[in-house]
Amino acid sequence: MTSITSESTVSPRVGSPVLEVDRLVKDYPIRAGLLRREVGRVSAVADISFSVHKGKTLSLVGESGCGKTTTGRCILRLIEPTSGEVRFAGTDVMKASGKELRALRRSMQIVYQDPYASLNPRLTVGSILADPLKVHGRWHDGGSERICRLLERVGLDPKHVNRYPHEFSGGQRQRIGIARALTLDPDLIVLDEPVSALDVSIRAGVVNLLEELQVELDLAYVFIAHDLGVVRHVSDEVAVMYLGKIVEIGPSDAVYDHASHPYTQALLSAVPVPDPKVERERRRILLEGDVPSPVDPPSGCRFRTRCWKAQQICAEEEPALIDRGQGHPVACHFADEALPVS
Amino acid sequence: MSDAPLLEVDDLRVEFTTDDGIVTAVDGISFTVEDHEVLGVVGESGSGKTVTALAILGLLPKKTTVTGSAKWRGRELIGLGDKELQPLRGEEIAIVFQDALASFNPVFTIGSQIGEAIEVHHEIASKDRDERVVELLDLVGIPNPRQRADQYPHEFSGGMRQRAMIAMALANDPALLIADEPTTALDVTLQAQVLEVLERIQARTRSSIMLITHDLGVVAGIADRIAVMYAGRHIETGPVDQIFYEPRHPYTLGLLASLPRLDRKTHGQKLYRITGQPPSLIERPPGCTFHPRCEFARLPEPCATVVPALEEVDPSHRAACHFSEGLVGLTPERLREGQRA
Repeated sequence: MTSITSESTVSPRVGSPVLEVDRLVKDYPIRAGLLRREVGRVSAVADISFSVHKGKTLSLVGESGCGKTTTGRCILRLIEPTSGEVRFAGTDVMKASGKELRALRRSMQIVYQDPYASLNPRLTVGSILADPLKVHGRWHDGGSERICRLLERVGLDPKHVNRYPHEFSGGQRQRIGIARALTLDPDLIVLDEPVSALDVSIRAGVVNLLEELQVELDLAYVFIAHDLGVVRHVSDEVAVMYLGKIVEIGPSDAVYDHASHPYTQALLSAVPVPDPKVERERRRILLEGDVPSPVDPPSGCRFRTRCWKAQQICAEEEPALIDRGQGHPVACHFADEALPVS
Repeated sequence: MSDAPLLEVDDLRVEFTTDDGIVTAVDGISFTVEDHEVLGVVGESGSGKTVTALAILGLLPKKTTVTGSAKWRGRELIGLGDKELQPLRGEEIAIVFQDALASFNPVFTIGSQIGEAIEVHHEIASKDRDERVVELLDLVGIPNPRQRADQYPHEFSGGMRQRAMIAMALANDPALLIADEPTTALDVTLQAQVLEVLERIQARTRSSIMLITHDLGVVAGIADRIAVMYAGRHIETGPVDQIFYEPRHPYTLGLLASLPRLDRKTHGQKLYRITGQPPSLIERPPGCTFHPRCEFARLPEPCATVVPALEEVDPSHRAACHFSEGLVGLTPERLREGQRA
């Protein structure tokens, strides 16, 4: 195991990315009739690309149904993508099998949103953490000692190793979920809404823990969340998704301070800030209507049906995700920096 | 009409008997809601926010022990039966719950359910009733209200359902609207729509709103006054600006300090963290319930022995802390820097 230290400075690393997602697509067929013939397709993730470097966090943000969770699961191949490539440290995750796939599975882990549903209630904490070690043949190599160290590291008492999940609070369970993800020394963790289910006063502790672990173990995170305050705090890079597409991507400060896609602007303007004076001054951009169905997404730009800037071209031509002078890629024909966040 | 506040709650206490012991969900709270004001009630799950609202409306299970007083325009509500409370519910005090899908009956149209809410309290011609339904749906910003009234709950999206719920609550122009986590189940752009609706109707109908939420951001823009709840007690109450900028209870201060904000660059810094976790409501810590988590506590005396009273620290600003004097001048920012150092 990488040594555990309490160092808290971030050391930026340059080099080739640990994770590369290239033109990822996931469709689900809709079947109907006696012969279960395919009558349509739900486009959950539609051609997205991004990369994550060692020790860095990329966040996927967007509202329910935008494809962020599907993307996270495709990266781990928990869901088989329809097309596209995922490369982990240069290895093609989609083509891997046998030994290679087992090695990949060790290196890429996931922490789920619901700490109540993601831990087996019939297993003690000890066996929850031992299972990955046994499956991957590492148990005899000081397994139980390792479990104690992990529990300690995530802020739990190693003496509680024989307790069951229901004996822990939500925040503690999420720490168990994090310890489980760390058992096999991963390089990348997909964090799917890791703090959304937790009480406000508990969240900060879990966020701090995730950040400390990232620095100590040089972990790459794909952070999936809808709380845009937490996302800004943890992210190096942010990708904003709408209806299966990335509409804006870039360094966190660039996306937050120079939001240039109308959807990003609306999303950021909608988040209430815990500051009465700021709130009274702010102008919210209210979007009309609802997110269209992913069964039949709008032609051209998928956001155009709710966009106040939409013109003829938006229905005809899909805007490419490129830098149009904003300093980071934006998928809008009329990308324009507008009102800063606060 | 008397000078009595719209709603005056005094030493309200709610206890549930469970197999594990007595759960004190609300532990002697006192507050008022004035005419035309928006009161934000903030607290974490289990702090007693929802139970307070249900107790006022007499909606708790019969076995529950409710003591204390809740006066509506001077009239005592605690102890009244369903028969006496029914004319009040929906007519004078209306409530909107978090989960709008569970709150509508799936086999009736939205319009007929809103119409029913009117008919329960008023004799009204069906034509006028239908007009009123359309007007209400329009008020909460539902497009094509006439067609929409004939649709079923499943044909509405989540955000629209919640707005329809608000329309139903407003059907009889209640003097007080209790909104219990009305936006928690919604995505942020839909939350913005619903908050905008609440602001708009408040400006238009001048009804009072009691907005219950765990999200300090949600109440920041809309509330006039805030009550912060912790483990069944009001630990701080006051005008919104004083609560946010000059909090005088360590819990309020800690909560504000721990929130990462989207308008602040804090990447790479540690967040302020309140240690420990909310207490069990069966075995409550003695004295101040927050003392095991409080970095300002003096132990054992007085914090672990004496329950601090909710006392005035500034005109109309109250805090339940033995050392609230010592928090003067301490902002969330300074607290954050202090923990980091």
